Amino acid sequence: MCFKNLPIDFDSAGKPFLRGGVADPYSQATAAPIGAPTQLTAERVEDLLRRNGHIKSVDFDPVTRVAGALAFHTVADLKARRVLEARSVATLFRGYEVIMIGRDPRDAIFITSRACGVCGGVHGTCSALATEMAIGCCPPPLGVLIRNLMLALEFLYDNPLHLHLLAGPDYSQAIVEPTNPSLYARAQKTEAPHAEVHGYRTMADLMTDLNPLTGKLYLEALHMTRVAREAYVLIAGKYPHPQTIVPGGVSSTITLTVMNEMFLRLAQFFDYSKKITGIWDDITDFFYEADPQYMKVGARRAHLIDTGIFDDPDAYDATYANAAAWGNRRWATPGAIVDGQLVTTDLHRINMGIEEFVDHSFYEGWTGEGRTPHFPTDSEGNPLSPHHPWNKITKPRPQGQNWKEKYTWDTTPRWDRNAMEAGCYARLWNTAVAQQLPDNPFIEATGHSLKVRMPRGALPEMELEWHVPKVWNAFERNRARAHCVAFTAMVAMNNWLAAMDRIKNGDLRTSTKFDIPQKGERVGVGFWGAGRGYLTHHLVLDRGAVSNYQIVTPSTWNASPTDAWQQPGPYEEAVLNTPLLEESDDPAKFRGIDILRAIRSFDPCMPCTTHIQSEGGMITREVNTCACGLDG
Amino acid sequence: MRTIIAGIGYRNLRDHSVGPLLVDRLAGQRWPDGVAVEDLSYGPIAVVQRFEDDPLDRRFDRAVVVSAVQRDREPGSLTVYRWDGVLPSEEGVQRAVVDAVTGVIYLDNTLVVARHFRALPAEVIVIEVEPILHEFGDGFSPAVAEAFETMCRLARTLATDCASGEAIPVAGLGGGSPAATTAP
Repeated sequence: MCFKNLPIDFDSAGKPFLRGGVADPYSQATAAPIGAPTQLTAERVEDLLRRNGHIKSVDFDPVTRVAGALAFHTVADLKARRVLEARSVATLFRGYEVIMIGRDPRDAIFITSRACGVCGGVHGTCSALATEMAIGCCPPPLGVLIRNLMLALEFLYDNPLHLHLLAGPDYSQAIVEPTNPSLYARAQKTEAPHAEVHGYRTMADLMTDLNPLTGKLYLEALHMTRVAREAYVLIAGKYPHPQTIVPGGVSSTITLTVMNEMFLRLAQFFDYSKKITGIWDDITDFFYEADPQYMKVGARRAHLIDTGIFDDPDAYDATYANAAAWGNRRWATPGAIVDGQLVTTDLHRINMGIEEFVDHSFYEGWTGEGRTPHFPTDSEGNPLSPHHPWNKITKPRPQGQNWKEKYTWDTTPRWDRNAMEAGCYARLWNTAVAQQLPDNPFIEATGHSLKVRMPRGALPEMELEWHVPKVWNAFERNRARAHCVAFTAMVAMNNWLAAMDRIKNGDLRTSTKFDIPQKGERVGVGFWGAGRGYLTHHLVLDRGAVSNYQIVTPSTWNASPTDAWQQPGPYEEAVLNTPLLEESDDPAKFRGIDILRAIRSFDPCMPCTTHIQSEGGMITREVNTCACGLDG
Repeated sequence: MRTIIAGIGYRNLRDHSVGPLLVDRLAGQRWPDGVAVEDLSYGPIAVVQRFEDDPLDRRFDRAVVVSAVQRDREPGSLTVYRWDGVLPSEEGVQRAVVDAVTGVIYLDNTLVVARHFRALPAEVIVIEVEPILHEFGDGFSPAVAEAFETMCRLARTLATDCASGEAIPVAGLGGGSPAATTAP
């Protein structure tokens, strides 16, 4: 059964319908999430704080110079070494949805690209997908293949950067030795299982090269960002904010020379993938063996969502009607995973289960008493919630912060009322389990794992295997992210080969001419992905201008606040489940490393400086979040 | 002496466009050998890599870096200093690198990151203006427009006259000494 909470059933032909006899099928009382964890109420937490000296507020108070920010409020029981309350706070409203109203949809590509300094290309592409669906314009095959390559190259910049520049330092000698001295002592005596691949004899050697600023792995990741960017600009002209993304394809001129130059860069990721998968397999296994409690750091239910990415040029037709079919032909399969089980790969079903709530967000609701939603169904007759992005109206309402009421600029997206998590790992999980990959020589989905065959470089040819994990936590997120680099590299390889075939056959067209229809209402959605997972742009055009534009990003899901059913958002749930394993009896020296590992494992990308207020004073640490969609 | 005049900022962001627009103005002028005019308004790590790409015998000796930076000074005032090159703590540098790779383009960040990775020329002279208008759009505020002409003249002098930098005070990021701040 696809939906367990929303009252949506399916007829014998698989056509969904709202269950009969339900007066208000989308009311919060009708469809509460079954079995979801709940936060303590703010009143209960206040009571605990009042009555127990060992229970403390630990606030992560952000300061940021840039366009988005994440703050985190926790209440921790320092005696029991656990977190009692966690509140994720997006502190800035940026309002791209509001900016877009009334504009020409072609502007959306370039305006929404600015939502993020790292992933502008993915927003631009997602916007182009939404527009081409709305106006009825399908790219030529080479345009689809080049688009796939562009996005793969973005991810090859993004994922290594996170692993070794943002998350890596949390596992470095510089952090582990002072926060967990016994763990570091163990690392000095523990041989690294993948030493032959990555070259580090002991875990301590490996940790030392993860050190920020000086570690070889840190510096190598900086270098690899250049390699990926060079490859990207060869086929897309520039980065960030490429100007070559258009509805109906790309405007680049692609030649054999360009493709060969690009391949020289792509090939550098073959050996690099072997190395970093070995590194993150070793880190994960070392921490688990040292203390199985690490399996609880950042742990939460395996509720994952992804819309898939990397289209098959022979399947993709830019229509919503055929989205379920072309979605399932993607190199990364769309999917919703609930409690570790893949419940659908159908883009229509994924779309119809999405709702956004604002109970704890600085927005006014839009589903007033008796108001009929603008789109009670999608164009295929599938039911849509009044809270669905196509029905949503962004109505910002700044006000004071109150944990009982409103405390964030992020909205609360839910799928089938579940708090879903977005990440590149959802791509791996869906693809591994769904087994819908096109025939190819490099990637194999087994139903429980994903095998990636990496070609020979300086290192020999190697088969890497990512297994669907038994537990879902901070370590597994990072491990999967490393394997995702290998997966992405070989998706790129497959698309490079396909593009070369097209070019050799003289098929050089990369875009389709289009006009923006000036009459009537038109609807589109970009189902795409960022380096950190799920991305949708829902678009409504009215007489050629944008009348509604809604962006839901990975961070919209991951940083979402507690919902009306007291179900925490993913960051919140992960932190609530995190034991405080840091070896410190002195609150003044408490660094909050376990909490930071939990949050950072989601790959937040926009920088925000986070001050952890402990009894001993203020400790400055960083949490980086992709805040590109934190506002409504 | 080899000198680079570099602008750092954002286009279409009113007074914050001073760096790139100064480069636009000066790049079209005639320059002696050994002077380059470049817009460095991109990721600081890529700026590091751009400097590292120069062969050892072609590296710059002096950088004249131009930007608008909000530091709560007199609106439109110019601050000119030879940067002392003092870096923040390691944690501060790591924060700068994180900002750099996640999209922040900002004078202090570029200088800190480029200095940390030993990519900057030995001598860095900074010309800053205190911005007034921060919103999207073309055109400077009147005070910054007036300062812009001075900045162009100053950048040219500093790039073509080796001795011209000697009178400029040494200071930390932002100037920090009264001598560094002068009226346009």
